[in-house]
This record gives sequence, C-alpha cells and structure tokens, in this order.
Amino acid sequence: MAGKGRLVEIYFGPQHPGAPGNIAFKLTLDGERVVNVETIPGFLHRGFEKMMENRTWEMNVVLSYRFCVEDPDPLEIAYAMAVEKIHGVEIPENAKYIRMIQAEFSRIASHLFWSHFIGGSTGLRTPAYWALVAREEILKWFARFAGHRVYHNISVPGGVRYPLPKSFVEDTLRLTNFVEKKVRDVEAALLKNNIFRDRTRGVGRLSSKEALELGVTGPVLRAAGLPYDLRKVTPYLNYDKIQFEVPIVQNGDAYDRSVLRFREIYESLKIIRESVKRIDPEGGLRVKLPLTAPPGEGIARVESARGEYMIHIISTGGRKPYRVRLKSMSLPLMTTVVEYIVKRDEVTIADFPILLASLDPCAPDIDR
Amino acid sequence: MVVASISNSLKYLLRKPYTRQVPRIDKPFKTPVTRGSHVLDMLKCTGCSMCQQVCPANAIDMVTADGDYPQNPRKRFPRIDLHKCTFCGLCVEYCPFNALSMTTATGYELFTVDKSTLLRQPVELKLLPNASITITKSYFTLPYSKSYQQGSGDKEVS
Repeated sequence: MAGKGRLVEIYFGPQHPGAPGNIAFKLTLDGERVVNVETIPGFLHRGFEKMMENRTWEMNVVLSYRFCVEDPDPLEIAYAMAVEKIHGVEIPENAKYIRMIQAEFSRIASHLFWSHFIGGSTGLRTPAYWALVAREEILKWFARFAGHRVYHNISVPGGVRYPLPKSFVEDTLRLTNFVEKKVRDVEAALLKNNIFRDRTRGVGRLSSKEALELGVTGPVLRAAGLPYDLRKVTPYLNYDKIQFEVPIVQNGDAYDRSVLRFREIYESLKIIRESVKRIDPEGGLRVKLPLTAPPGEGIARVESARGEYMIHIISTGGRKPYRVRLKSMSLPLMTTVVEYIVKRDEVTIADFPILLASLDPCAPDIDR
Repeated sequence: MVVASISNSLKYLLRKPYTRQVPRIDKPFKTPVTRGSHVLDMLKCTGCSMCQQVCPANAIDMVTADGDYPQNPRKRFPRIDLHKCTFCGLCVEYCPFNALSMTTATGYELFTVDKSTLLRQPVELKLLPNASITITKSYFTLPYSKSYQQGSGDKEVS
C-alpha cells in the first residue's frame, strides 16, 4: 500500500464482482480509506427514450421495461398506465389486481436477488443461495403465467395480455407460503449473524433530511425513518383497497436497510395473498385499444423495488409517441449519495462494496 | 445468533440439492405457454406483412418463396432472424390470418455454432423435433370487459 499522505487511484468495476452491474467507480485511496469516488456510467447506454419515439405504441410495450433486469414489472406497468391515461380508459378490476400481484412478486424477486448481492459483499454466500431458490420459484411462476422468466410482458395498455393459467389462485398462494418459509430462513441467517451485524452497522448512515436533499426515494429513504411510499401516498391500481403497512426503520445505515427489505417482502406477500382472493375468474382482463392514440399527455408514477419511477409520454396523435421521458430510480443513489457518504464518513475499501450493496442500485437503469 | 445460522445450514445440508447437473439429465423447464421459435402455416399466410410491421426487434422481413399458394399471389412470406428475435409474441398476436404460432423450442434447442443458420427462411419455419405448439392467436383473444369508445374514427383491430 501507499505510504502516508500518498493517494492512489484505483478502478472499481465495471467487471468487479463487488460492483453493481456495468458501472465503474474511480476510487481515490488514502491508505485503506476511500477519500473520493467518481462514478463512471455509460457502459450500457442504449438511448431508450429516443428508441421509444421511433417505435409504435404496441412495440414500446416490449421495450419499456428492458433497462432493469432485476425489477422489470413496475416499469412496464408504468408505461401501460401512462398510455391508458392518454387514451382515457379505465382498465378492468381484474387486471388491476393481476398487475399488483405481478409488481409485488417482482419486488420480492428483486429483494431476494439483493440478498445475494449483500451476502457476497459480506462473505455470507450460503443464505444468499437459499434466497435464489425462492427467486427461482417466483421466476417459474412467471414462466407459467407469461411464458418467459425474466421479461414478462404481462401488462399492456388496456389491461393484461394473457389469460390466467389453470389453478392460478392455488399456485400463487402455495408460492407465497414457500417464499415466506425461505425468506424467514434467509433473514435469520443474515440478520442474526454477528459478522453481518458488525460489517453493516453504521456503514453508509443517512438521515431522512439528508436523503431528501440528495433526492433519494424507496427503501433507502424509508430506512431513514420517513414513511414515503407511493403505494400509500398517491395510490395507483387498487393499493388503496388493500390493507398493508409501510415498514420503516430509524437508523438509516446498511443494517437497517437490510432489515427493511426483509420486512417489505412480508408486506408484499400480504398484498399478494389479499389481491389474489379478489380476482374474479369470469371477469374481463383487457380493454381493446386502437393502434393510434389521441393527442395528449400521460404521466405515471409507480413504486418500484428501488424507489420512485416516473414515465412521461407526450402524444401528438398517430402511431408513435412524440416524446418519452423516463425518471430513473437509482440515479441519485449512484451519483450523489455515494459521493456524499464517502466524503463525510470514513469508508474503507472493504466497506465500499457493502455500501453499494445496501443502496441496491440498478446500473442499466442509470444509463438507459 | 450464530446457532440459528448453523442450525439452518445443517437443515439445508441434509436436503436434496436444488441445482441440476450439467448436462441436464431431466428435460429443461417448459410450461404450456412457453414462447419459443416460430411455426409458419404457408397455406394461411397472405403476405400482408403485419408481423414485419409490429416486430420490435426488426427480426422479420418479407421474402418471396416458390410454390403454389393461391391465397398469396405475390408469394411473400416472413423470414425470421431468430438471432434478433426476443420471442415477445407480437407477430403471433397481430397476425390477422392465424398463420404464425410459437412452439416450445427455446434456448439450447436452438443452439448453433453458426449464427447464419438462425436466419430462418419461410419454408424452414416448421415444428422442430420434440417440440409442440404452445401459443396461437387464440391465446391472445381475451374476454373484453367493454369496448373502447372514442369518436375519432379509429378502427379497432380484430
């Protein structure tokens, strides 16, 4: 290592196992301590907004969610909701409940995948593999419903694209029980482990005031003690008809974020169990929309697993959108928050992957 | 507690492994709605190029094929590049004549060492061995709760 007072620059990512996907960081080290961090995004830039302007409404359904692999379903729901606002249609109740189940399963799958990520950073890979078992069953549930495992394409403007498979309700309830059992095991093995506690407590502490100023939403904000959840604040779909809580914790460090994510999984399971009972097997699923949209604007905000996601579509009539704007959910985490924490706290190079994992960003979502 | 994690680890140690061996002994996971490579019914296709227009990956282009097809006087049929295809199923959903359908052949069943073999000519869009048809247009014909009302003269797609 360098001697005292000598700074060393090292590159962290984009092919580092501790990096959250295809994103790089230029770290300035003073001994073991990280004194400065520079985020280098852009490895996955594909220009989604421009691509969506050049494709028709029905083709954009397939494109609208492809920039977040772990949690694609809220993004496609947001696109569908925005287009429905342009058309001014109300979708059937069944479709709303199915979308809620879809979004919550996606949230659970994303949080389970996160536990693999933080498990790898803290050297606790074993419980993380149990989490992947539960995630695998969720992906199989999606494959039975939608035909594909990762990108499901269930929600389209107007409702739900696929008919319900046979024994949908029973399969879903069985899956929620299976997932809950696995998650309790993972939670006990991770959160009650002394190594995990010591490595994560006090890392990346963020108060609610700081989080708000830095533009943070989602679990990182709720872990700082602010119960801000779009599902409660501005309810979309049928979230206002379902009883659930917004879990919050107070400290805002990496350990509390971990606690919060597990609690969110239980709340999501509660929402799924409640929603699946309200599906009417004889009810409608989709309102037929024409290929051309009327002129107008549509804005949709959804609570994804990483925070608030917003899409704004402007239509001037015709078969293609005039302008599409996507608000990323993990952009503040990787740009402002990491730099703020590194400059304020004493973050060592060993703690840096834990800090990143506790924020749980989605690198392709930053680049789009 | 460390005891809790160790007891959990022991519990999982005695269980059957969840992972599978490679090469797989059992068949890969397939569902009745798996969307795999396409099948083209050349006796139904009229060459309207609707599938080409809705394809988001630009994987379909229309080519001429020899043969006697009275319903298709220009003899234009879709040629699908499975290397570009994302198997979203929009071509099947929007085909007005129910000519395209999808099968269970995905993933390693389409494995090839020569990328150019994935450019499937219309006559090559047939059912592969050990595959079955999963998705046809009727799958997307859902019960509609109400019809769309708008006075702008837009035509609905059947």
